[in-house]
Amino acid sequence: MKTRKMFFRMITASLMRRRSRMIVALLAIAIGATILSGLITIYNDVPRQMGAQFRNYGANMILTPTEESFTKADFDEALSRIPDADLVGATPYRYETVRIHEQPIMAAGTDMESAKKTSPYWLVEGEWPASGSIMVGAGVAESLELKIGDTETVTYTIERGDGSEPEERTLDLTISGTLSTGGSEENYVYVPMEDLEQLTGTADRIDLAELSVSQTADQLNSSMEAINDGPEKVTASLVKRVTASETTVLTKLQALVLLVTIVVLALTMIYVATTMTAVVTERRKEIGLRKAIGASDLSIVREFMGEGMLLGGIGGLLGSFVGFAFAQFVSRNVFSSSISFRPLLVPVTILVSIAITAIACLIPIRSATSVDPALVLKGE
Amino acid sequence: MFIRMIGGTLFRQWKKMLMIAFTIALGASLATAMLSVVLDVGDKVNQELKTYGANITVVPKQASVLNDLYDVEGGGSAGAYLKEEELGKIKTIFWAFNIVDYAPFINANATLDDGSDVTVVGSWFNHHMSLPTGEELDAGITSLRSWWEIKDGHWLDEQNGEDGNACMVGSALAETRQLAQGDTIHVKGSAADADFTVVGVFEAGGEEDNQIFTSLDAAQALDDLDGCIDSIEVSALTTPDNELAVKAAKDPKSLTISQYETWYCTAYVSSICFQIQEVITYSVASPVRQVADSEGAILEKTQLLMLLITLLSLIGAALGICNLVTASVMERSSEIGLMKAIGAYNGSVTGLVITEIMITAVFGGIAGFAAGFGFAQIIGRSVFGSAITMRPMVIPIVAVLVAIVTLIGCIPAIRMLLRLEPAEVLHGR
Repeated sequence: MKTRKMFFRMITASLMRRRSRMIVALLAIAIGATILSGLITIYNDVPRQMGAQFRNYGANMILTPTEESFTKADFDEALSRIPDADLVGATPYRYETVRIHEQPIMAAGTDMESAKKTSPYWLVEGEWPASGSIMVGAGVAESLELKIGDTETVTYTIERGDGSEPEERTLDLTISGTLSTGGSEENYVYVPMEDLEQLTGTADRIDLAELSVSQTADQLNSSMEAINDGPEKVTASLVKRVTASETTVLTKLQALVLLVTIVVLALTMIYVATTMTAVVTERRKEIGLRKAIGASDLSIVREFMGEGMLLGGIGGLLGSFVGFAFAQFVSRNVFSSSISFRPLLVPVTILVSIAITAIACLIPIRSATSVDPALVLKGE
Repeated sequence: MFIRMIGGTLFRQWKKMLMIAFTIALGASLATAMLSVVLDVGDKVNQELKTYGANITVVPKQASVLNDLYDVEGGGSAGAYLKEEELGKIKTIFWAFNIVDYAPFINANATLDDGSDVTVVGSWFNHHMSLPTGEELDAGITSLRSWWEIKDGHWLDEQNGEDGNACMVGSALAETRQLAQGDTIHVKGSAADADFTVVGVFEAGGEEDNQIFTSLDAAQALDDLDGCIDSIEVSALTTPDNELAVKAAKDPKSLTISQYETWYCTAYVSSICFQIQEVITYSVASPVRQVADSEGAILEKTQLLMLLITLLSLIGAALGICNLVTASVMERSSEIGLMKAIGAYNGSVTGLVITEIMITAVFGGIAGFAAGFGFAQIIGRSVFGSAITMRPMVIPIVAVLVAIVTLIGCIPAIRMLLRLEPAEVLHGR
């Protein structure tokens, strides 16, 4: 009991008395620990955050009907097979040929709010259409000379297979905006689903659905199989162009962050070790003196190591919180989302800090204790 | 005398000086590696994002309206085509070096033996071009459609003598027709018919799965469309759009002369499109928003992420160097106390310490720079499979950083040394 008390008193007294040098050592360890915990937190979080960025490319899964079309119920049923958290957006589309200025044009009925999520790259000049308005593709707008704010009559012909006279239905819609994508979408017009249903007189039909799912390639495949195995009348398929490329690029980006983390960590840890070594080497005389008045090698090693490890612990604790703050700052600024705190990282950072300081102290202490105290005291 | 004293410290106390040099080298290598990577990461990621395919499509004026809107079928009736002989001009525009890949397409409507319709697409696969600038380029869909999965056989290899009658068929078509590598397929176009040998079966996950891909010449011959192409897909390295680019994309004429020059001489997707339209007659080049926009977003995020990590490592390296310099100067209190006791001035002691440390810093810095460059190459090679380009600006940044940080590291130590009472130090208190 007494020896232990003495041990702690020696350690704390030594830390207090040599304040300036101990601050140097503590600062070194804290910087190391900050970089350790900060980078590991970022590395852990980057795949998720980067994956979310890749959803900018739009839909990576397509639902097509097994038969002619599918219903809203089928759609919801299929979506329920994908975890809510992974689903970025799901947009149903219904395609019908309508006529504007007596020209046949493909009209797509959709849910505009979810279309914004599955096709974030759509460039809309003007407004997205609300009920009673229509968004025209840039190609259509140019060839039919349509302008934002115009009200156009959209005609739809219902052809019945029984030879009776086709029925004409019309609806007046205001052009709210034009759409540019650089793809075939520019030759379509987009109307809210309820307006298309009103125009055609039939409801609850979906021809195609686009899904944007934030999952890895393997998870995507199993989600696809889950939907295809289900009873609803839809077939899911992956958009190869998006999924294959995403896997390639994301793997590279993750490897980049990993390698950078490793290089930075390795260099930082070496530097922490050098600083600790420098601080301990300075005290060779003290070690020599203690040996001269009869301290055993073991007790000296224990005392010095205890001191170093205490510093390592405090530095590690400080660093793990500062590091988290840094990671949070990065996440807020780069990805504008926050990182959840990983409690496990605190003990890991502290343990690593202690281990590194211990190794760093051991070398100079060893060399000091192995030498004859007389030589050390003489300064050779 | 001054020089002899410095020399003495450097040689006699080489162990301590080596320690300082080592720490400075560590800091410098960290700074060099991170700065090199962060300055080059944009280009590298941009290259990787090319797997998403072309970000610019070039079509003849009017063509999109004719084909998609009115369903005009068949060969020459539409009459809107781009000229094959102008293809080479794409590599002569101002931003020619940013154009990494492109391929022309021609669609021919043909029938199979049983009378069913099939689209035969003529394109480049790995078309080799030797440009007047001396640049060599392999362009075509082998790289522009990197997501295609080859189910059977291999990519059509133009450079290996496979053009003329070789073709690749989509997996859906191959399945219904029982086609495999080595089989022959007879197609009849509006002007001629041809026998194609299947060299590969691909799965694209789109409408291409029902199409036949062959060389440009073979597809043109089917419909007698020599020298005609329907569209060109271009993959270009671009800078993310800003306000100027958005304004210019709407109407380049709305810009002032200096704005116009800035825009024209920046690799915005809109200015590259504009320049392509200048060289290809009767064409409309438009950005594929899906690819162009997303590229910009991902590029920006990656660069910002790397920049912040670099900042953290730089702060770490700076504090590290400072810290050790302080520690090692303090250590020499008895030596400096002795100097002061025998009559050295504060100024000369300070000069001596700073000169010693700076000389050490130069050696440490150079060694660290070399090591850091090595680390950057390791990262470049293992992640992107290509070397990281060394930017000349890294050298002055690292040099200034090391110098400033080392000097700052000396300040607290020197302040302490100046306050030293020689008697106290020598007494050992």
